[in-house]
Amino acid sequence: MSILGGGIFKGMAVTLRNFVGSYFSKERFITTNEYSWRPESELPQSIGDYPKEEGEQLSDTTTVNHYSRNFPMLLHDTGEPMDTIRCVACQICERECPPQCIYIEKSTEKKENADGKPQFYPAKFDIDVSVCMSCQICVEVCPFDAIVMNSQFELSTPDRFGGLLVRRDGLLKSNDYYHKIHPQEAATRDERMAADKAAKEAKKKAAAEKAKAAAEAKAAAAEAANESKEDTE
Amino acid sequence: MSLELIKDILLATVPLLVIFPSLFAFTTWMERKALARIQNRIGPNKIGIPCTRIGLFGLGQPAADGIKMIFKEDIVPRGADKLFHLLAPILALIPAMLILCFLPIEFPWGKFMSGKVQAFMLDSAVIFFFAITGLNTLAIFMAGWASRNKYSLLGGMRAVAQMVSYEIPLVLSAVIVVMTVGSLNAEKIAEAQAGFSWFVFSPWGLAAFIVFFIAALAETNRSPFDLPEAESEIIAGYFTEYSGFKFALFFLGEYIAMFAISGLAVTLFLGAGDGPFLAVAPWLSVVWFIAKIFGLIAVMIWLRGTLPRLRVDQLMAFAWKFLLPLSIFNILLAGMSHHVTVAYPGTTAQVVTWTLSLVGMYVMAKGLDKISRSTAKPREYLYAE
Repeated sequence: MSILGGGIFKGMAVTLRNFVGSYFSKERFITTNEYSWRPESELPQSIGDYPKEEGEQLSDTTTVNHYSRNFPMLLHDTGEPMDTIRCVACQICERECPPQCIYIEKSTEKKENADGKPQFYPAKFDIDVSVCMSCQICVEVCPFDAIVMNSQFELSTPDRFGGLLVRRDGLLKSNDYYHKIHPQEAATRDERMAADKAAKEAKKKAAAEKAKAAAEAKAAAAEAANESKEDTE
Repeated sequence: MSLELIKDILLATVPLLVIFPSLFAFTTWMERKALARIQNRIGPNKIGIPCTRIGLFGLGQPAADGIKMIFKEDIVPRGADKLFHLLAPILALIPAMLILCFLPIEFPWGKFMSGKVQAFMLDSAVIFFFAITGLNTLAIFMAGWASRNKYSLLGGMRAVAQMVSYEIPLVLSAVIVVMTVGSLNAEKIAEAQAGFSWFVFSPWGLAAFIVFFIAALAETNRSPFDLPEAESEIIAGYFTEYSGFKFALFFLGEYIAMFAISGLAVTLFLGAGDGPFLAVAPWLSVVWFIAKIFGLIAVMIWLRGTLPRLRVDQLMAFAWKFLLPLSIFNILLAGMSHHVTVAYPGTTAQVVTWTLSLVGMYVMAKGLDKISRSTAKPREYLYAE
């Protein structure tokens, strides 16, 4: 027989433990880990101090922790961004985006990608970050691992229309940068991509071998048939 | 009207108009900070002294919020009833402010008054409290109706249903104190509890205090009874269409109502300004009174951080099937115990009646809980799976 209202007291004990614990253990603050990438001396000291230099809010190391995500970015492999872009402008993310903040224009001609395969590429790839809701659905649907979440959050701009519409070149980030901001996620993604590639190649090889074997068998059969034909003649 | 009377009225009201809104600012900060800590966040910690990095634990946050609220655009929906849309937040604030005047707080400047202002010595103060609290419902429904927005209207209707239902256990639990003291005068009630004979220290007083506190939570639309402003269901309820300073007024009214109803609870059950060291320093009674109010508000914040919101049918069932019978039974118990102690004076009789009352109350509450649980039908949804 439980005490009347006992559940309420139990819940209140839990919240009290969190309340008191938040003053003593730093590990509890996984949700608020402010400016961890920047030493205390480099923090803005007063109003007018900030941003320290032009374009600082788009600095490459603006991240909070490994799990934070803000708006999507486009990945490219090592090399010139447009030569090694992974996106093939298939427009799946554009169609899946719930608030429809992605705008893609497909290129008219193909261009060689990082693997040396001719592919389409996005002539235009804009994301309106004032509309984006950071749902990460574009990341989940992308079959080419071309779009992932960035964790930049200092995106304030004096131009609320143009400044919040991030263009293709602003979205393009290297895989190394991705490794820097989300090491674990990037490592697992790379692993999976490598495994996929290996599996694909193995399949291709197997298919080729099978085709070869089949061709050989066919040739043998044809030969046998020929021989038997010759025999009957 | 004589000059003396005007001076008295100003002395009695102006400090209230200064003290409680500033306490409101502090309470908003306290609430945000406490809720943040409960959720393992830091809460406001940036705004302290302007143009410096001195954060002062974010104590400047209410000032910043206030400045923001004043400069925000005041939007009135095109289809709204403009007059009532304007009047509703004002009407929400006035009753709460009025109740504060009747709290028996002995401010030190009281001795500069030539005589207590008659209105504040009202013999039927307790009745007046409840009469004025009822006005709040009107203001909220006015806001909901005048906004011409379905969410506002839903919020307003929920508020009316909730406040009318919970006013009954609220009044019935206060009746016990009135019965014991034999007066509706707030100062007489405070006097009767001097020297740590607070009503909360008796079994029926304790039960009545708990019922009163729960009903007070519902009356002030506090979580877990914040259905009229349930964000996940009806946006912001009755003040969906309010912005800028009108919204700030609603906010202020809500918190002042919290102060007022906590002050009433302190007056009725927690010994008003009674506390230790009063013989040495009588001015401490103000401190005790406000400290007790803040204690109750801290519990309200704690509950807000803990409990999820009730469903509408649960809310109604709780008021009518649990709190109402319980408070009626409590009145019976209090009356019987009073007569027993009068007939058989002495500690033995008192110990026996108190134990029996405690056990009786608990069994009654448990029984009501069991009945409501066993008779509860699975909910049928008309428009949902």
